[in-house]
Amino acid sequence: MYKTFLVAWREFLATVLTKGFLLGILLPPVIMGFALTVMPLLMNTAAPKTTGTIAVIDKSGLVADALKVSLDADAFKSRRAKKMEKAQAKLESKGLSIPIDNRTKAMAGAAMEAGSPTLTVEILPATSDQEEAKKPLLTANVRDNEKANASQRVALIVIPETAVRAAAAANTPATPFDHYQIYTAPKLDIEVTSDISDQVDKAIVDARLKDAKFDPDRIRSLIAEPITDTKVVTKEGERKDSGVAAMMVPGAFLVLLWISVLVGGQGLLMSTVEEKSSRVMEVLLSAISPMQLMVGKIIGQMAVASLLLGLYAFTGIGALIAFSMGHLIDPMTLVYAAVYFVIAFFLMASMMAAVGSAVNDIREAQALMQPIMIVMVIPMMLWMPIGRNPNGLFAQIVSFVPPISPFVMVIRIAGSEKIPFWQIPASMAVGIISMIFMCWATAKIFRIGILMYGKPPNLKTLIKWVRMA
Amino acid sequence: MSNAISIRGLTKTFGPKLAVSNLDLEVPTGSLCGFIGPNGAGKTTTIRMIMSIIFPDSGELTVLGKSSAIESKDRIGYLPEERGVYRKMKVLPFLTYMAKLKGVDGAAAKQKSLNWLAKVGLGDVAKKKCEELSKGMQQKVQFISAVIHEPDLLILDEVFSGLDPVNRRLMRDLIHEQHASGRTIVFSTHAMYEAEQLCDRVFMVHRGVKVLDDTLQGIRNRFDPKTIIVEPLSEQTESGESALGLIRNLPGITHAERDREGIVLNLADGVPPSRLMAEIAALLPLRRIELKRVSLEDVFIDLVDSSTDDTVTREDLRATLKEEAAHV
Repeated sequence: MYKTFLVAWREFLATVLTKGFLLGILLPPVIMGFALTVMPLLMNTAAPKTTGTIAVIDKSGLVADALKVSLDADAFKSRRAKKMEKAQAKLESKGLSIPIDNRTKAMAGAAMEAGSPTLTVEILPATSDQEEAKKPLLTANVRDNEKANASQRVALIVIPETAVRAAAAANTPATPFDHYQIYTAPKLDIEVTSDISDQVDKAIVDARLKDAKFDPDRIRSLIAEPITDTKVVTKEGERKDSGVAAMMVPGAFLVLLWISVLVGGQGLLMSTVEEKSSRVMEVLLSAISPMQLMVGKIIGQMAVASLLLGLYAFTGIGALIAFSMGHLIDPMTLVYAAVYFVIAFFLMASMMAAVGSAVNDIREAQALMQPIMIVMVIPMMLWMPIGRNPNGLFAQIVSFVPPISPFVMVIRIAGSEKIPFWQIPASMAVGIISMIFMCWATAKIFRIGILMYGKPPNLKTLIKWVRMA
Repeated sequence: MSNAISIRGLTKTFGPKLAVSNLDLEVPTGSLCGFIGPNGAGKTTTIRMIMSIIFPDSGELTVLGKSSAIESKDRIGYLPEERGVYRKMKVLPFLTYMAKLKGVDGAAAKQKSLNWLAKVGLGDVAKKKCEELSKGMQQKVQFISAVIHEPDLLILDEVFSGLDPVNRRLMRDLIHEQHASGRTIVFSTHAMYEAEQLCDRVFMVHRGVKVLDDTLQGIRNRFDPKTIIVEPLSEQTESGESALGLIRNLPGITHAERDREGIVLNLADGVPPSRLMAEIAALLPLRRIELKRVSLEDVFIDLVDSSTDDTVTREDLRATLKEEAAHV
């Protein structure tokens, strides 16, 4: 037992303490976390604050006044705040609520205020020379706050009368209006530019409506997008439809399980092949039995896979709780997932150990790996159909087909639909029986394979080894 | 005297191939035994069965008084023929790991590893990765990993392969030292002269069958010398005949050929060498005539020749053995 532990510990350290592992495994969550937390802050603070004036040449005389209001510094600020609230409301309607406490709100507000442009609108006479009005744009300094000054011109809006009132000659109903122009200083913040054009669009549409004797505010309130409020009626009462989140959670479980099992299995394959090709195998066998070696290696790699799974799951659950979506995960689901992880890992690991022991180098392993990889892709393809219909006949059948049953069960259990309880212990029993069988078969292949050099065996030979005494 | 290893009726087949057939073997405690035979004779298979790495189809086996090596693995040191090191592991952790696997406790394992490295002149490589060592250095590290737990029984499979003459001598000294401190040593080789230099007892297997089991002295006494080496004064006699031709025609000589040493003659069974030597001396003037001391190689070829079918001739075997020896 102690020797098995020694083997497992070495296996664990040898896998975890490589640069490749640290980079390949730990980096993605770090990058993700960075992208989710630090990046937005950096972007907010780094966004250049735009200062200056926006010149307007309004040849129609119907738009300029509205622009004077909507392109004002305060208007920019309040629009940004509204935009954020709107985005949040939209997420909530999809079942992905992101609660923001007052402190966060204040912080976000302050960041926005700092980033929000301070612009003033300067109405030029309708008869102004357009070319002359463009010239100041070249000297504007929009990136460097130090050199910027409030009177510099950063944009010029030119609205021809035909953009508001349809030209009498133009009778084509599709494009009765002409274009209007926005000229901006080089490197003007893209967000500011798009905000300006949005406001001009709105002002022009309002002007057109007014010109046609409509009330723009009334029209806008009439054509507002309706908001859905989907609820699921269950015996326990009504609850909000989790929608997309309900599909994402089983998917996340599946992907986590899949990645950790695959990484552990791959590690086992690599280290077994390395021990064989470097001829250290029989040196080890001078001290321990093949069984001790195999079990030790599997446990060591399982520790690696568990570390990975734990790390990712911890981050994931932490994120869900932070977004107050912890209710999507039942604690029992985690317990079941852990059991299915052990089953899936042993099934995978024993296949990998068998392949690793049978071949001389990693190149030869590819041929034997192919069928395993094909089997491993199946759960990924089943995610969508089973996630949508966790209690379909097909889903129920594949829940009892090893080695994909653990993956299928995890998708079904993590989903929002309740599955018949008896299927959980039953599928676990099937999994454990197949796990014991696989380990038994692998032990036989391993014992013979690790001392075999030369021509790599094919699947038929492997089966023959299993049947040998 | 009790036996360190005792084997009775051991048989192992791999599919249709009979690797070891009904083998009986006794290794007395404290002896230094050579286990010899050409490649594929069944040496490694037998050793693996002794080590309980593979299991026999039938037969009994006792190692250090236990029915299986699994129960006494910590008292056995085994250096397999197919051996290597973890390439990415550093030398000291590797040796410490091996020592721990063999039951030495942590702190002692490290100290012992350091002592051994210093002893074989590798004191400065403890912190290097195994892949940075030369092949000879790796061999020494592997030898240390086999003896670090001070085993009672040491089994060395083809221990000299891949070593240069200097390291070969070092290895020989190490083996003698291990033997002198009371350990039983079994070492297998296909290079017969290695066994001759080291062992006090020799087993010989051929095609899974034991063909010889005796002390070296016993073998020398038992097997009559069968080879005479003649170096004529000149290649041609005064009458113009070739020396080789003349000698070859003498009765009682089965084979004669010229090699670097001179003309090598193989004697037929029952021919007294003294008579033949006198005859040759009378036949032509000689620079030298010598009755070659029996070598294991001769014994082996003789045994194999009489025990197997005719498809393999004595000369073929001799050629194979020479070739193998050259590869060592």
